[in-house]
Amino acid sequence: MKSYLSYFNLKFKTGLQYRAAAYAGIATQLFFGIIYTSVYIAFYESNASNYPMELNKLISFLWLNQAFFSLMYLWHKDKDILAIIKNGNIAYELCRPQDLYLMWASKILGERLSMVTLRFLPVLIFALLLPFPYKLILKTSIPFFLLSIIALVLSTFLSTFLILLCHIICMFTLDEKGIVNIFMVTADILSGLVIPIPFFPSFLQKISNILPFRYVSDFPFRLYVGDINIREGIIGIIIQLIWIIILVIIGRILSKRALRKAVIQGG
Amino acid sequence: MSLYLKYLSMHLKSELQYKMSFILSFISQFFTFFGYYFTILCLFNKFSNIKGFTVYEVLLTFSIVTFGCSFCEVFFRGMDQFDKLIVEGNFDRLLLRPRNIILQVFGEEINYVKLSRVLQSLVILVIALLNLNVEWNIYKVLTLLLMMLGSITLFLSLFTIAATYCFITVKGLEIRHVLTDGGKHLAQYPIGIFRKGFVLVLTYIVPFGFVNYYPLLYILGRVEKKVYIFSPITTILYLIVSLLLFYKGVKKYSSVGS
Repeated sequence: MKSYLSYFNLKFKTGLQYRAAAYAGIATQLFFGIIYTSVYIAFYESNASNYPMELNKLISFLWLNQAFFSLMYLWHKDKDILAIIKNGNIAYELCRPQDLYLMWASKILGERLSMVTLRFLPVLIFALLLPFPYKLILKTSIPFFLLSIIALVLSTFLSTFLILLCHIICMFTLDEKGIVNIFMVTADILSGLVIPIPFFPSFLQKISNILPFRYVSDFPFRLYVGDINIREGIIGIIIQLIWIIILVIIGRILSKRALRKAVIQGG
Repeated sequence: MSLYLKYLSMHLKSELQYKMSFILSFISQFFTFFGYYFTILCLFNKFSNIKGFTVYEVLLTFSIVTFGCSFCEVFFRGMDQFDKLIVEGNFDRLLLRPRNIILQVFGEEINYVKLSRVLQSLVILVIALLNLNVEWNIYKVLTLLLMMLGSITLFLSLFTIAATYCFITVKGLEIRHVLTDGGKHLAQYPIGIFRKGFVLVLTYIVPFGFVNYYPLLYILGRVEKKVYIFSPITTILYLIVSLLLFYKGVKKYSSVGS
């Protein structure tokens, strides 16, 4: 266990060094936050009724998404892991007396947590200082707050295992484009990062309720702004747990299978 | 020009060496693109209009922008990836050759996979046009053509400006994506829906408005003035300025060494 923690630590600390990338990331997140909120505000201003979400809840939701974007987005490709799969250095990883799955999971988790640590606070502060319709409102009640914190922690693990699964699929395809790209785009859309789930047509909402992607970003933040009630919140957390278990099992089986017939690329 | 054609055929041949990968990437590009399209359709499923613009009007705006952007990403990819040339020191190699430098930069990389996006944006353009209630005449057709050309010119200028920026910073910063991707996101809606500040920026600083908003108003018959037809032409000025800046950058360029 200790060794996995140190992988995590290593990645986390290296990640914190990339300040310039973080500034650029913050700027991008702020920019997109402003675009998204402006578009939705324009929509709400020009249509009288039938809103799937209240405007101030929606705006806060969009800002929370932007602030924690680097923890939530599923379009993540770990260059190091992909490189060792492709160039055959995976052989070295296999020589270590450690579990490949846990090792990679702690690396991905470390990198993403370092990214979000550098980024979320400036975005939140900026969003809090904006004038009224664009403003992020952090006010919530204690039960919602506690539940959404639990949901956020679980979704961090959920997204890590989803991304890890993509990388394990790469061990079969030896290519991070093609199928993996299609999987990642679908995941990104169904996670509600592109547009919030309540705006989906109803059949897609039903599909996304079953799949794990929605529980990554849509669920914890909509819970926070109070768009999901407590009962659904508790059910959602249970679904998150179930999906985490399923993903870990699938990921482990696939990685074992991939290693059994692993062909070491290159020489 | 014949040199550029040669580059084109060369890159096509090398790309087709990996057929399966090419086809799969082509398909996955389709999915990525579908994401944007899906967003607009979903939103208009819930709302009837955005500041008076209907879904097909927005799709027309959207397709003009994505057409220009993806066209440039296919044929002028080298300019988009200019920081790679500088970082790896390969730019020195190009400078030694007695050919036009811009042309050589263009020819460095040509991304045929993104052709699928050009096709998709054309399909959406056609869908939008078929569903729009517009009385077409020669002026309006001309406006549409100018919009498409203007969009290409605009993105080429943006790529060139981003490349010129690399002369100063060496490594191309992610910030440039705010200019291209961010602009693309904003300008996929008619810019009139935004607040004044945005409209000013998108008209005078990054002139997306001249490409897909002001001429759009003419096509939709919301303004009658003929001046609006020719507004995409202003992007040529923008291109000239950006090319001048680029040449200035080339003159000052000092190699990173290797």
